[in-house]
Amino acid sequence: MRPSFFHHLHPPTIPARQARLRYTLAAGGLAVFLVLILGITGILEIFYYIPTPTEAGNSIQTLTFLVPFGGLVRNLHFWSAQFLVIVSIVHPLRVILTGAYAPPRQFNYLLGMGLLVLAILLDFSGYVLRWDEGIRWALVTGTNLLKSIPLIGNALYTILVGGTQPGLATLIRFYGWHIFGMTLAAGILVAWHIFRLRRDGGIAVPPPPLREDQTRITRFELLRREILAMLLASTALLLLSTFAPAPLAAPITASAPASETARAPWFFLWVQQMLKLGNPFFWGVVVPLAVLVLFSLIPYIFPKPVKPELGRWFPKSNRIAQGVALFILLSIITLTLLALLPAS
Amino acid sequence: MSNRTLSRRDFLKLASAAILTASGLLGLEGLFRFLNTQTEPLPPTEFDLGLASNYPPGSRTLLPDIPALLLHAQSGYSAISLVCTHLGCSVESKPEGFACPCHGSRFDPQGNVTRGPANKPLRSLRVEVTSDNELRLYTT
Repeated sequence: MRPSFFHHLHPPTIPARQARLRYTLAAGGLAVFLVLILGITGILEIFYYIPTPTEAGNSIQTLTFLVPFGGLVRNLHFWSAQFLVIVSIVHPLRVILTGAYAPPRQFNYLLGMGLLVLAILLDFSGYVLRWDEGIRWALVTGTNLLKSIPLIGNALYTILVGGTQPGLATLIRFYGWHIFGMTLAAGILVAWHIFRLRRDGGIAVPPPPLREDQTRITRFELLRREILAMLLASTALLLLSTFAPAPLAAPITASAPASETARAPWFFLWVQQMLKLGNPFFWGVVVPLAVLVLFSLIPYIFPKPVKPELGRWFPKSNRIAQGVALFILLSIITLTLLALLPAS
Repeated sequence: MSNRTLSRRDFLKLASAAILTASGLLGLEGLFRFLNTQTEPLPPTEFDLGLASNYPPGSRTLLPDIPALLLHAQSGYSAISLVCTHLGCSVESKPEGFACPCHGSRFDPQGNVTRGPANKPLRSLRVEVTSDNELRLYTT
């Protein structure tokens, strides 16, 4: 049989022990599936969405309530995006807790970190495209944070916002970054990430003589499991899209009263909570960037996982990296929960 | 050949790298200037508030478009900006002062910080009574 493109994505066989759901959590595969849904539903949304402050809200209403299946398309796009952020955190966490970033996979780990950042920035820019009261203050504070950066802050602000305050130029710029600039970068990184995954030898496993379990599954069994995971994910997405529609508030008007509490989107609540502590540059720029840099350096600065221990959870050799990752994750979850408490 | 001479191959490699770097930096500079341009008019800095007699002594008027709070006290007209000095959210005017919905800063009725994270008082805005007895507010 002549190899098809499908054979590039799936090796003839893979180790049975590491192909189990309880090892991979299906996170990488789910991320690819969600990216596909986001691409398709996003292209469909382009046909109705109008990126101007006066028309954005109306065009979303038209899409949601008038266009056949428009609401479904929008809700699927929304829920896939939220799941993509979750999966983009679970996936590297699995990789750290199994030591799977061990050489030669450090570089692919960095590509994955780039994809995590893009998933968050794409989610934030998509959220801003609603241009409703719900996004107003997150946009104001998020862009004002740039101004707090010494020397280049004001230039960065103008480059992102296109003016001295959020307006038409801002919406067009966010739209351009969302549907093209960042999407293009994400597409290239996804392809590169999958290419490196195959180049680096697929799922991390110990060298053959050290494997306790030598059984392997075929690419057809792998495909069967992938289809099962996709069906389950589709069911969850369709149920959520049917019963929990994506939010949309009233359009932004200058005279709208400030509400009792203005909350950031859920994935930035931890930053909002830290900003309550004071200096915007330190808590809003330096600390989040430091967290990102620390996560990216995990394969380089902490004791490396040893080969015989690969392919299973919680290897002893990289316990420090596991501890650091879990500590940061717990801190972020705690800050998020604190931000959700009613304001005192 | 001594170590101190540069071979033709190394020289060409170095020259290509230098030219590529220089063109890349020039391109980045162009991109920076391309994006760092604002095409929209600047927001207004002067606001006509109409007849001064519309704001009787003792009144506190919310001007949400600016956003500001106009006060008419015995000493005359004054205005407090409602833009939080921390990260720019609009603060809410309350009997006990001002509260920011974003990060919880609190200000007293004069605009002084009573609780962080803000560390600067709310800005006072200049209000003038024009010759035909109208109020004009300046945000700069």
